[in-house]
Parts: sequence; C-alpha cells; structure tokens
Amino acid sequence: MDFDFTEDQQSLRDAVQRWVEKGFGFERRHALAKAGGATRAVYTELAELGLSGLAVPEAHGGLGQGPVEAMVVSEELGRGLVNAPYTAAALMAPVLLSAAPSAVQAEWLPRMASGEALVVPALQERAARYRLNQVATRATAQGDTWHLEGGKCVVPAGDEADAWIVPARISGAESDTQGIGLFIVQRSAGQITAYPTQDGARAADLQLKGADASLITQDGFALLQQAVDIGIAAQCAEAVGLMEKLVAITVEYMNTRKQFGSTLASFQALRHRIADVKMQLELGRSMSYFASLKLGDPPVQRRRAVSQARVQLGQSMRYVGQQCIQLHGGIGCTDDYIASHYFKRLTMLELSLGDSLHHLGEVSALMQDTAGVFA
Amino acid sequence: MDLNFTAEELAFRQEIRQWVAASLPPDISHKVRHALRLSRDDLQRWAKILGKKGWLGWGWPQQFGGPGWNAIQKHLFEEECALACAPRVVPFGPVMVAPVIMAFGNAEQQKRFLPGIASGEVWWSQGYSEPNSGSDLASVKCRAERRGDTYLVNGQKTWTTLGQYGEWIFCLVRTSSEGKPQMGISFLLIDMKSPGVSVRPIVLMDGEPEVNEVFFDNVEVPAENLIGEENKGWTYAKHLLSHERTNIADVNRAKRELERLKRMAKAEGVWSDARFRDQIALLEVDVVALEMMVLRVLSAEKSGKQSLDVAGLLKIRGSEIQQRYTELMMLAAGPLATPFVFEAMEAGWQGNLVSPPELMATASTYFNFRKTTIYGGSNEVQRNIVSQTVLGA
Repeated sequence: MDFDFTEDQQSLRDAVQRWVEKGFGFERRHALAKAGGATRAVYTELAELGLSGLAVPEAHGGLGQGPVEAMVVSEELGRGLVNAPYTAAALMAPVLLSAAPSAVQAEWLPRMASGEALVVPALQERAARYRLNQVATRATAQGDTWHLEGGKCVVPAGDEADAWIVPARISGAESDTQGIGLFIVQRSAGQITAYPTQDGARAADLQLKGADASLITQDGFALLQQAVDIGIAAQCAEAVGLMEKLVAITVEYMNTRKQFGSTLASFQALRHRIADVKMQLELGRSMSYFASLKLGDPPVQRRRAVSQARVQLGQSMRYVGQQCIQLHGGIGCTDDYIASHYFKRLTMLELSLGDSLHHLGEVSALMQDTAGVFA
Repeated sequence: MDLNFTAEELAFRQEIRQWVAASLPPDISHKVRHALRLSRDDLQRWAKILGKKGWLGWGWPQQFGGPGWNAIQKHLFEEECALACAPRVVPFGPVMVAPVIMAFGNAEQQKRFLPGIASGEVWWSQGYSEPNSGSDLASVKCRAERRGDTYLVNGQKTWTTLGQYGEWIFCLVRTSSEGKPQMGISFLLIDMKSPGVSVRPIVLMDGEPEVNEVFFDNVEVPAENLIGEENKGWTYAKHLLSHERTNIADVNRAKRELERLKRMAKAEGVWSDARFRDQIALLEVDVVALEMMVLRVLSAEKSGKQSLDVAGLLKIRGSEIQQRYTELMMLAAGPLATPFVFEAMEAGWQGNLVSPPELMATASTYFNFRKTTIYGGSNEVQRNIVSQTVLGA
C-alpha cells in the first residue's frame, strides 16, 4: 500500500509542467482552436520530450513505462489543457499493435515512439455508441491483403494521423464479440471529412471503400477492451488535472471578486459549494489512482475497476465543471475566459470511451457478492 | 505506487482474522449480522475479550500498553473486526478520551485511568454537547468553579450516547468567561457516581433510548481530575475530534452492509430490477471511492511523505454512505419494513409476522442513522472546515 510517486515519476511530472508553462499558454491554445484545432504540431513537441514513446516497448525505441507514468503525464496534460491526441496515439495505439505480426510492429512502433508517425484508433461508428462489440465495418481478405468496407466517425486527429487502427468485422453478426479483426489503415486509403471539436481539437469521419489494410489480429475484441480501459484510465487522470486547475482558477476568483461589498469567498452558500467541489475532486483523484493501479489485473477485475472509476469521474467531471462555471457567474460563460474551456474539455471527455450511464451499466452487470477495493 | 498490501501486512491480517474468528462470541456476531439489539453486556463482553488480548486500545502506542500498530495495521484490524460482524467498539474510552489522557494528562492520571480503559472494565461517556451548544460547541456553559482542591460543577450535557451505562464521563466545562469562548473551556473527568449527577434517557425516533441528558447539580470533582491546564480544554477537544473523524468514516462497516444489502436485494426480488440494481451499483462506486480515499490517508500517514487534509471529507462522505445503505435496505424490504415491533429486535424473538426481524429493522436503522450527518460535527460544519482549507481563509 503506497500512493507516493517515485523521484523518476516526479521528474517526469516536472518535465511536462515545464513544457506547459513555457510552450502551451492559454493564448496559444485559444489561437490553435480558433484556427481549426490542428494538434499535430503540439504532438510533435510532446514527442520531442520523449512522451510519444512513453508506452512503446524499449525494444521498439520507446520508454516502456507503465500505467502510473501514463497517469502522471495525463494529469499534467489535463492541468495544462493541452490539445493533443495523446491518449489515443501514445497510450492506446501501441497496445493495439502489440498483437501485430513482428514485421508490422517493426514498421510502425519505432516511428510512433519517435513521434514521426501519428497513429490513432478509429473506434466509433454511427450506431455503436460505447459498445465495442458493435462493429458494422467489414473486412475481407484477398490473398494476403485485406480490404475494409464501411466507415468510422469522430476519430481524434483523424485527418492529421498517418494511419488509423480500425476494428472491422471478419465474421459473425454485427454485435458479436467474436470475429472482430484489428487493422492498420494508411490515411491515403480512406476518404476523410474533418472538423473542429467542441473542446478545441480536431476529429474526422472516415469512409472506407475497399480500403487496403494490414492485419493486426483476427480476434481483437479482448485487446480492444484492454486498450479502451487504458484510454479510460488516462482520461480519468487527465480529468483530475483539468479539475484541479479549474478549481484553483475558481478559488482565486472567489477570493478576489467582490459583490455586496465582500469577496465571493465570504458567502456560506458559495463556501459550501466549493467544499462539495473539493469532495468530487478528491473522490475523482482516488478513483483515478484506482483505475491506473488496476490496469494490470486480470480482464474481469480490470474491467470492473475501470468502469467503477469512470462512473465516479463522470460524476466528478460534470459536477466540478458545472459548479465552477456557476461560481464564476457570467464571466464563466464567456469564450475569452479560460474556465469555459476547461469545462468544455471535461464535458467532451465524458462522451468518449463511455459516459457515466454506460459504465454504470457495466458496474451493475459485473457486480459480485463482495464489495470494495479488494473485492 | 502500489495498491497491494505487503506480505507482512497480509500475514498480519490473517493473524487478526483467525483470532477474531476464534474469539468473537457467535451470539454477539449473530446480532450484528442481523441488526438486532445489542445489550450492555454484549458490548462489554466483546470489549473485555479485546482488552484481555491487549487490543481494545488497538490504536495505542506500546508505551501505554497498546500494540503499537501503524496506520495500515490499525485499519486491517478494524476491517477484520467489521467484516466478522463484531460490534463497533464503544469509542468514548479507548478511541476518544484515552488519546487525550496520553497526550495531555499527567503520569498520575495515565496510571490511574488508562488500565481501566484498556481492559474494558470502565465504561466511559462523552460530555460535549449541551442544549444550547450543538454545532457551536465552543459556547458550552456547564460551569466548573474552582473551590480549593475541588471543582464545583453545575449544568447539563446532552446527546450522551449510552450514558445510561456510563461510569465516568469526560466533559468540556466552562472555567472562565473571559476572552474568546474557546479560551475559557477546561477538560474534566467526572465520576458519574458522584452525588449530584443524574442521567435521563432520550428516546430517539426508532424507539431506542440511545442517548441521554446528564445533569450536574453541585457536583464536587477533585481538581486532580483536570486534564492539562485550566482553560486549555478546547485544544484537547480538537485533538480528540481529529481522531474521531477517520474513525467515523467507517468504510469497513459500509462494505459489510453493502454486501448485506446485496443479499437482501436478492432475497426480496429487486436484484433483477435494473432500476434498483443500478442504485446498488452507484453505492458500490461510492464505497470503493471512499475506501480509496481512506487508503490514501493511511498510506500518507505511514510514509509521512504527503499530508492529506481530508478528515472533513471522510466524515461527510462516510456518513452520507451510511445513510444511503440504510435507505436502500429499507427500500429493498419495501412494505415489510413497515411493522414496528420493539421486542422483535431481541435475539430469539418468536413472533409470527410475515416480516422477519431483519427486514423490520431496516426502517428503524434508517431512522436511527439520520444522526450520522449530524453528530461528530454536522456535515455543514464539516463543509465550513473544508472550505476554509480550500479557500485558504
């Protein structure tokens, strides 16, 4: 039982913080968002810090770091409100490639580690919502090559990526867990419609019309679940960073803004609200730790823990976001003020990889007789 | 970072588990498991069993005869006791007054009072609240006037839990009315058999006389029963409350009761109702999050590397969860929670109602547990304290 960070983890945190302070102020972010939300340049800067290779095995030129390091980086990217497809490209994509033939790994992983290649999972389909087994895109083999027919939507940095990792159905009905293959598809093989997102980044819809694809694995559902759980844990950590900073901004505002001749911080109704906000932040942080520390567990335990964490973080993100806007009053609703951007990022986070209700359903389905952290 | 207990900690847990299994009388754990009424004898029997083993003061350092366990070990001990359905140790002696006597009492007082607390022989009560001093505890008026070698105590305490069994009571008394209200309070130990002490039970909404009013009418208390310095009692009381709050979160009992709620929901046919089951799932998330928060505090305490100022949060969350599981149990029982049969709460009751005692008890417990967000510093007072930390003013 130990919740302290090692010195190495602390210096990793410091390194990301220093980069944010020097290179990623609110003005830069705001300008990037207004210009359409391109994130590749920012991702390249993170790569220069070595962060794109964080989860890539050392044998492929990465740092081979674990969930706690990923959590530390994600918290800091959240705190800095950094727009980059970090979770998708640096944390989820490498694990999806772990099942690929060694030639495919050798082709992609070193370039992903260095940041030269940006590869993102393309998971979403029109009717799938958060069900990973709901895959309508189909894959057919012709000799050694595969072709994909279908489409994916809301792919993070989809138009900036060099390739996508695409789940496609090889066999079975549309919602079977069996028969889902994972493929790597070069950007040039698909048709792209790209657009800015609510939280200042960029995403794309892909049309795949017989697109050429390289096979990662023919039976990818379990790996897909694992990658998504890794992504959720990282998002939980990002949310903690976001919330922590948003609360700090709000506290500062409460201590300076005066109405009725007194600071906002002097009114008990508002003091109790910030106490409740602090509660949600600390519960969220506790469950973010829980999610990351359970990633190495056997699949069922990992699944349950990650969904439990996501239910908590979903509640925390929404409460902290909404209340911090409310505590600011009118200024909190403006585009020029930083708080609204934190709120929007927190809100959009919940809508990717499963919202609170979806994961409550998972927790409910996976509940057992015993209860608690060690159940 | 590591979520796992060490091999030594797991071995320690195993040792505790085996001892509790062998030592906890089954008639007592039966009552706890089914939420039946515990008598004074039940509570004291278990306290003395713990006392004989040297574990009634499980949080005590070795120099005062305790086991000298670290934060994690204390937690594991509490967890094993809770999961085995041991009664909650009545905290007033071993958990509340003893740490104050250790920290601020003199050697004579330590020698005189601690052994009786450690063995479970002496029943202690708490004399804090007064009719006009609830959340505003610093306004206490119960007066202690120094007359040579004695204090003359006049006034009233209230909400004294299980005070009907009390042999000694620790009180916050007013010894000065000068300066800020906090400045004139003293911490006094009073023998409840002294002439002039009278106890009157207060029946709570579940029908149980769980708390009492305690009256002091010209009670003479030897001055040697004063803890520390006169007028410094508020500092000592705050020390005590900081011990009370982690204890009050009681996440171990919450885990046990959540498991009971699941069994009840299955037996009553609501487990298969997605609307009901989702409520249990939400509570489960709340319980895991509280447990993680508790574990973070314990780990910080053990390593000393970070300080976590979340005692107020633990009290708020712990008490809300306690209320929620009693509420869901009552809802699981549904109409069968309606009968109010006082004697059915006794073990061995032979009635022929359709409602088993365990289901009837759910409503009583729900009513009783409204106290949890009120006592130990109401949750609103806790929010005041938390906001002070967050806002820095």
